[in-house]
Amino acid sequence: MIELKGVSKIFTSGVEALFEVNLHIGKEEFVFIVGPSGAGKTTLMKLLYRDERPSSGSVIVDRVNVTDLTAEQVPYLRRNIGVVFQDYKLLPKRTVYENVAFALQVTGAPRSQIRRRTMQALELVSMLKRASSFPEELSGGEKQRVCIARAIVNNPPILLADEPTGNLDPQTSWEIMELLDKINRRNTTLLVATHNKSIVDNMKRRVVALEGGRVIRDQQLGVYSH
Amino acid sequence: MINYLSHLEFFIVEAFRGMRRSGIMSMVAIGIVTVSLTVFGIFLLFVANMGNMVSDVASRLDIVAYVEGELTPDQADNLKSQMLKINGVEKVEYVNRDEAWKSFQEDFASKLDLSEVMRENPLPNSFALQVRTPDILPQVANEVAKFTEVNEVRYSGKLIGQIQSLVSAVRIGGVVLVFLLFLATLLIVVNTIRLTVLARETDIYIMQLVGATKSFIRWPFVIEGIMIGVIGGGLGILLLKTSYDAIIFRVSSALPFLPVMTNGGVLTMIYIMVGLAGTLLGMLGGYLSISRILKEKE
Repeated sequence: MIELKGVSKIFTSGVEALFEVNLHIGKEEFVFIVGPSGAGKTTLMKLLYRDERPSSGSVIVDRVNVTDLTAEQVPYLRRNIGVVFQDYKLLPKRTVYENVAFALQVTGAPRSQIRRRTMQALELVSMLKRASSFPEELSGGEKQRVCIARAIVNNPPILLADEPTGNLDPQTSWEIMELLDKINRRNTTLLVATHNKSIVDNMKRRVVALEGGRVIRDQQLGVYSH
Repeated sequence: MINYLSHLEFFIVEAFRGMRRSGIMSMVAIGIVTVSLTVFGIFLLFVANMGNMVSDVASRLDIVAYVEGELTPDQADNLKSQMLKINGVEKVEYVNRDEAWKSFQEDFASKLDLSEVMRENPLPNSFALQVRTPDILPQVANEVAKFTEVNEVRYSGKLIGQIQSLVSAVRIGGVVLVFLLFLATLLIVVNTIRLTVLARETDIYIMQLVGATKSFIRWPFVIEGIMIGVIGGGLGILLLKTSYDAIIFRVSSALPFLPVMTNGGVLTMIYIMVGLAGTLLGMLGGYLSISRILKEKE
């Protein structure tokens, strides 16, 4: 599903974010990307949805070499990838429903489908009851659920979550991880970048550890650190 | 296109949302468009009135060809029909010297008694020619002078030439001025809308992230620009029409001989042009501002 071959990323500022990264992630896998801040986790994710381009090497998503895509093709790549952020990035002047429906509206989904699919997504993340609330009225965990609903409303085969529990308390973090796990089991390839040790250790999934832009460990049923 | 049309409602809702959210900036943009278009309209009205005056003056100017000696009615008719054949001549009138003398005497009867000064009619027979456009006056005058019967040809060529060069100077200057005005307004509108675009950076980022195409992101901003342009243009037309009507009313009662333009067709055309310029300005403004932001993010 996802393949990185000899990927390096050096920013124009000279910062070396990734170096010779090789990574293969199969369909419907659940992978933790762990490592300290600045290890390259966010950069790696941004390469997948072409928010950044690699300096060298190739990034292949769903058999498509993302590096070669033209600016006109990028939107279609992104419809296959849902992204969840640490800071949610919800639009403050829109309700929960509108935030989720927005993702369908701007990709030109037919109007007949928008309502149904938005409701389904909100149902899945247990936020149907808060559909008409505004983001400022929600708790952190609820905001993250809305962010997840927006990421999956298009039914993308791949979901990327960058520090999804970074701003949440341990209990809420667990609930969010359970939700992501549920989505993974509905045939979605899932990448979670995190430095939440207890979650990684308890979930017992594949762990890819980054440090200084290099993959230093890649193990099935892994833990956060040795 | 069909695909986009089906999302028109979404675009319009988004455009209104955007305008509401950046209320003050939108009003500023509308104000700027209004002022610029009013200036544009004033200029168009000015040029149209100049043109009107020139053609008014020109229509009163004609060529007078004086004839030596007497002409029989047949000769006069013959000459008249030959003159009508000259290219550009619209009307030829034979002025009999006796009639001319009579009307001259009538005109000045109260002011001086000519019969005391001269008993003989000093006026020659003449032809008055009207031409289609003032610029062919010299040509026609030359042709008329070739007739052997014609003694002298007179026309106010110099005056016409001066008026015409003035009008063309105004027109050329006007085109340049309108162009510069349009450019300046466009620049201001682009930057004003750009500020409202910057305020919605997260919206645009989310749109890009979930896979909205560029044109889809652009539409609401283009529509927002059009709305700003249409409202600004409408206000400009209102301002122009009210003030022009008021001015016309005063001028036509104070200086009734001044040929101010009250022609409904031309005025309507000018107002339509102002409205269209506003729409175009807003549309371009919206398009360019969002395109610049999208380019930066690429």
